[in-house]
Amino acid sequence: MPTIKLTVNGSTHQIEIEEGRVTLLDVLRDKLELTGAKYGCGVGQCGACTVILNGDAVTSCTVLARKADGGEVLTVEGLSDGYILHPIQEAFIESGAVQCGFCTPGLIMRTYSLLTKNAKATEEQILEALNKHLCRCTGYESILKAVKLARAKMTL
Amino acid sequence: MELKYVGKPLPRVDAEAKVTGTATYVADIRLPRMLHAKVQRAGTPHAGIRSIDTGEAENMPGVMKVVTGKDCKILFGTCLWDQPPIAVDKVRHAGEAVAVVLAETPLQAEAALKKIEIEYDPLPFVLDPIEAAGSEASLIHEKNGEYRRVEYVVHPVKGTNIFHHYSLRNGDAEKGFQQSDIVLEEHFEFPLSNHCAIEPHGAICRFSSDGSIEIWASNQAPFVLRDVLADMFGVSASKVRVHIPYLGGGFGGKSDICIEPLTAYAASMVPGYAVKLVLSRREVFTSTLVGRGVKARMMIGARKDGTFTALEAEMYFSDGAYGDTSWPVCTVAGHNCTGPYHFPHVKTDVYGVYTNSPPVGAFRGYGHPEGQFMVGRLIDILARKLDMPVWEVMQKNFLKEGKKNALGQTITKSNGDLDRCLEEVKKAIFTGSKPKETERYLYGRGVAAMMKSPKMATNSSSGCLLSINADGSVFVTLAGIEMGQGCQTVFTQMAAEALKVPIEKVRMYQDVDTQFSPWDWQTVASMQTYRGGRAIIQACERAIEQLKGNAAEALGCAVEDVEYDGECFRRGEPSKRLSVGSLARGYMHENGLTVGVPVHTAGSYRVQGVIEPDPKTGMGNAAASWTFGCQAAEIRIEKATGKVEVLHFASAFDPGKVINPVTCRGQVVGGVVQGMGATLMEKMEFKEDGTIGNPNFGPYRIPRIKDVPKKQTVIFLETPNEEGPWCAKPIAEHPIVAVAPTIVNAIADATAIELYCLPVTAEDVLNALQRKGGS
Repeated sequence: MPTIKLTVNGSTHQIEIEEGRVTLLDVLRDKLELTGAKYGCGVGQCGACTVILNGDAVTSCTVLARKADGGEVLTVEGLSDGYILHPIQEAFIESGAVQCGFCTPGLIMRTYSLLTKNAKATEEQILEALNKHLCRCTGYESILKAVKLARAKMTL
Repeated sequence: MELKYVGKPLPRVDAEAKVTGTATYVADIRLPRMLHAKVQRAGTPHAGIRSIDTGEAENMPGVMKVVTGKDCKILFGTCLWDQPPIAVDKVRHAGEAVAVVLAETPLQAEAALKKIEIEYDPLPFVLDPIEAAGSEASLIHEKNGEYRRVEYVVHPVKGTNIFHHYSLRNGDAEKGFQQSDIVLEEHFEFPLSNHCAIEPHGAICRFSSDGSIEIWASNQAPFVLRDVLADMFGVSASKVRVHIPYLGGGFGGKSDICIEPLTAYAASMVPGYAVKLVLSRREVFTSTLVGRGVKARMMIGARKDGTFTALEAEMYFSDGAYGDTSWPVCTVAGHNCTGPYHFPHVKTDVYGVYTNSPPVGAFRGYGHPEGQFMVGRLIDILARKLDMPVWEVMQKNFLKEGKKNALGQTITKSNGDLDRCLEEVKKAIFTGSKPKETERYLYGRGVAAMMKSPKMATNSSSGCLLSINADGSVFVTLAGIEMGQGCQTVFTQMAAEALKVPIEKVRMYQDVDTQFSPWDWQTVASMQTYRGGRAIIQACERAIEQLKGNAAEALGCAVEDVEYDGECFRRGEPSKRLSVGSLARGYMHENGLTVGVPVHTAGSYRVQGVIEPDPKTGMGNAAASWTFGCQAAEIRIEKATGKVEVLHFASAFDPGKVINPVTCRGQVVGGVVQGMGATLMEKMEFKEDGTIGNPNFGPYRIPRIKDVPKKQTVIFLETPNEEGPWCAKPIAEHPIVAVAPTIVNAIADATAIELYCLPVTAEDVLNALQRKGGS
């Protein structure tokens, strides 16, 4: 079985890849037990599987595992140390932006990508980034509020 | 007394797990000896199965077994047993399961699917409910009318595709129309649509050699699921254990029994193994329960002064291949299509019709948006014809104290204040004059009112178990499913309030497990706060009684002399206090002698006096716990494209006491956006061959952040409702109910064009504008 090398949340792994269409999302969830990233649509439309690959937010359900070989990945599990939340995570809680929570990890990783690249992202840029995601619960109002709060927290 | 936790915007108790990715959903669960299931779908909407060859598939690497419906004798259901877990001799919709491959990995199962060979004998298919109800249509169920059913509530018409006919006869509609100065009649359509919870459906099931069944499922109704599985496999309910982890959204799409019978049937073929089935998004569209799907006619009559005289409605639901999950939708639509208005004479006929689409089930507010779209639109048109402001017509006919609804129930003050709801949305949207038409945009304003009274089992209940630990912390268990609505958070608030302990001492259950969780009807109909809250209050009151009893023994006084304010003390001696923790396991004196009892209590609450509608009149005390509300919107339409933008959407609801203003607002804002999706974009499209043409996000559009209203105003009135906990009433599905009439009325205001079919896409508006321009 072919193998790939991935550095995920700071740890490096050699991973065997089964024959067939194996995505980065499959590897994260099934091989590394990082189930924070979710399967929502399989075609990159809903954003629930969003993680950071080599510095960019990607929908991991549309990235073939072998294309990610040698890559560096950050998932929602790697955002906090397990004791102290990342300011984006705090902002989502404080803004009431979490309902069913299924889209939340993807949204948080998108926000991370946006705000680490551009700490002063404008409302328009925020909307552009969030428009890549689907949430069926919130109506997005609280999510927009959370991203703005995260922006404020991260520029403190 | 001042409330400490109820009514406060406290953060959600489940939020931390959800932002760190540690919250567990069914797809995240792995069990030992677990096989992965992939399903072969029919791909054709109506056909006899001539043969299935699974030989080659069974020899594929990693494949354990291929399960088909051959020899399957099971039909499952809750009130109408018309569905096999897997297709047996024919397929009735294109997404139906025909074979299931069980393999070591999902990819191996998928590879083997391609090797299954199936031969079909095609049959004519029908998707239109009126056509399907006609005598010419080919029968989708030859045994319609013969299936086991609860006869009092499900009324099939034998020899047709109509599996349920609900009729309501309140007064004499004909006489009512004769007394009218004006009568309006229109035809309406509400398409089939998908709930689109972002989490796809999943289940893991394991059979043991002793006949017991264990299942983990994304389902809103663990105890219904337990009973259905027990019935399917002929085991006692106590041998079936259902686990429900967090749900990634439900909206009713997970409230009916859906993929679990298929998963369990496959698992029954491999006892000792766990079988995991998680649907692809495509399968969520093609092979789960879908929502709405109505073609209908409605007629209303009124006097010159705007007083309503009569309403008549005839509704045909394209309910898909099976009927057990959609008959209640029909019944509810039949008695709620009046909206929150008094009509002296009402006549409705609602037909649940088998068609060759995925079966219809519950979808947020089911039975309400369908009929109230029609009545909301007709009232708007009526007001224009009578040259009266629409709110005057609405107010004149609102259900209010002393008025009777279509079921014949008398409305009380505690049911809510529609007049004030209307005033609030009017103030938000209709203050000042409407923006003038520009070269680019047309502007419009619309308003509609709603009511919702849940369809429920007449014994619909919630239970609560409470135990107190020696450190004074409290553990509370209910079986309300946390699917995003925030029930665990409001339960925590209510338990801390009722037990008078600091909220950080209260730990709410996480997963629901039928082995430990108290019986709960199901998490539907916006009733967890309402029913669960009452169960919590009772469990807390009983715990306080036990604590007082223990304190009385400890203090050597009569129980009547013990007071409780979060601690126990003897009346008149408030300085000598006994903590909750010190009384939790009985009270232990210094020498070890222990008196009293360990504190654990149960509470429950059942809706009061609800009965099924009378089969002849369709009337009776079949609904309880209404919530009323009004919605209004200002929109603009881009003339060049027909695109409708909602500039400002206002909602005013009267849900009694708001337990948590943040989660409550979240329900409304999210519900409005979901309603916008139904109004302006969402529709399941069928191709010529009867398969679904847009089975994924992208081709099936749901609102994204750039589609939502520029502004939402949300107002809650808090008219006390004596029955609910702290006078709270249900609120969750409600925000979706009147969105469509509100927006389509605004479109009519902007364009002077009356539209009756949903969704109203930009293309529809543009075409209508061009037709109007041309004429």
